Amino acid sequence: MITLTHFLVVSACIFCIGLYTVIAKRNAIMILVGIELMINAAILNLVAFGKYDKLNYSGQIFALFAIVLAAASVAVGLAIILNVYRHYKTINPDNITDLRD
Amino acid sequence: MQDINVQLPNLLDQVIQSIPYFKAELALIFAFLGSILATLFVDKWWKHGSFVITLTGIIISFILSTQQLGAPQNGFFGMLIVDNFSVYARGILLLALLLCVVFIQQHFRNKKFSKNLGDIYSILLTAGLGLNILTMTSNWLLAFIAIETVSISSYILVGFFSENKKQAEASMKYVLFGSVSAAVMLYGLSLLYGFTGNLDFTSFEHIQGLIEAPKILLSLALLFMFSGIGFKLSFVPFHVWAPDVYEGAPTPVTAFLSTVPKIGALVLLARLFEEWTSSSFYFSELVLVLVSVAAIVTMLVGNLVALRQTNIKRMMAYSSIGHTGFLLMALIANLASEPQVLLFYIAVYTIMNLAVFGLIDVLEQKTGSAQLESYQGLGRQFPILFTVFTLLGISLVGLPPTAGFIGKLFVFSSVFDLFQFNNNKYYLILLIVGALTSVISLFYYFKIPLFAFLRKGEEVKVAYSKSAQLVYIISILLGISTLVLGIFPSILLSLFK
Repeated sequence: MITLTHFLVVSACIFCIGLYTVIAKRNAIMILVGIELMINAAILNLVAFGKYDKLNYSGQIFALFAIVLAAASVAVGLAIILNVYRHYKTINPDNITDLRD
Repeated sequence: MQDINVQLPNLLDQVIQSIPYFKAELALIFAFLGSILATLFVDKWWKHGSFVITLTGIIISFILSTQQLGAPQNGFFGMLIVDNFSVYARGILLLALLLCVVFIQQHFRNKKFSKNLGDIYSILLTAGLGLNILTMTSNWLLAFIAIETVSISSYILVGFFSENKKQAEASMKYVLFGSVSAAVMLYGLSLLYGFTGNLDFTSFEHIQGLIEAPKILLSLALLFMFSGIGFKLSFVPFHVWAPDVYEGAPTPVTAFLSTVPKIGALVLLARLFEEWTSSSFYFSELVLVLVSVAAIVTMLVGNLVALRQTNIKRMMAYSSIGHTGFLLMALIANLASEPQVLLFYIAVYTIMNLAVFGLIDVLEQKTGSAQLESYQGLGRQFPILFTVFTLLGISLVGLPPTAGFIGKLFVFSSVFDLFQFNNNKYYLILLIVGALTSVISLFYYFKIPLFAFLRKGEEVKVAYSKSAQLVYIISILLGISTLVLGIFPSILLSLFK
């Protein structure tokens, strides 16, 4: 029997993996992958909770919108990273430090 | 499935009835579509086509939203709240957006590049749409969609031109930081939904669920949720993107980023704050403590770091972080008073910031630099400009007789009333830090007249650019209006009644 707890544990794990990826990876595209993992953890949560909200299904609807918005922001993110690569010939955020105090 | 079929005509009727509440936003949507089409087809023959459509769209939206004044209503099953607070906020927001569109058009008028400027206007319109929705919702779904709409539009605004390395870097930092905080916020919202089963944060179920939720998980969810709003408002510790992005982006885009998105996020937070801090349960205390601590730390960090900046745009970035702290304090003051205190401060902040960035843009076009040292001795060449600049500095510090003083006075007196009412030590610390940081800010704002009037510098060859004229006039007028509003604050206050 798979209960709500199982879903929550899985999503918490995915969220932590995503957060680790964002913090540890030295590549802007891997950071985008990490962000995607974090969003998917949240979507899993929303769908799992939505099962108990039979009245208006707001969890499922929220999940759908979150998927669309995630796709949009990743598309913009990739375009911007491509642009950075044109200027710097690298996408390691550690090497791109013209702006700092 | 059966009961859905029965309900469906009913639901559709309700949706159709709600559409008139959305007409100000519909105007923006149509202007968005129109400006895309104009960019593709009209701009070849008449290069101002998309610009004019954008301006018309914003003005129509402004007129339509002012018509909603005085008739509080709910639309789309309570997802859309049309009350006076949102009408005023949208008024300020749309006027600021209008000025930003003009600034951007003027800034890029004489520059040549391969990209089409019309796209920027349509992106500005989507940002305005998202912000409008943000001011009129208490539903997490709509709030999240609106925040993401504004964020994605802002990423494009910063990254679109990318004439040099700095702009590309700024846009990458912005998009990565922004997406991470949006993802964290989404996770926090999913937890909040799990506790309560309802996405409307003013609803009874939502507050009931928050009262019953386990404390540790609730604290985590609230922290996550605040990271998303904090990113848009750029309060500490979610401020690290702001100086880099403000410095890297083209100056009129910085003028947009430092004012307009903050209005929307602040109104959302004000609704949330008012609804959630009225009870004496754990989550109310937690929200109050979180906002107070964020306000205190933000004021301190913003103003202290601004002291050692040499680039004027970076300095103004830290100054606007410091002002965010003060805006959060105005949010707390909002508990004790009418919303007009908060609205007054927002309006004054918007005027001051737009004017300052307008003047920075003018100087950047004339001298080609945004470094403070490059202003040496310029006071003799541009006496009016630097007099107004100094006046704006005085207003940003909050000294009389300017509008900044009146705004700060209202906030301080409201927070003091709150302190006398319930003796919460956070209010006292807020008052002390607010006063202290205002004094600190004196030191860096007065660097501008110091360099311009007192230091001797080389005579700078001024590139005569016609494009700066309109921005110059608008900024001077805004600067004078801070003085007028400082002497007659009732003009604005009676408007917000």
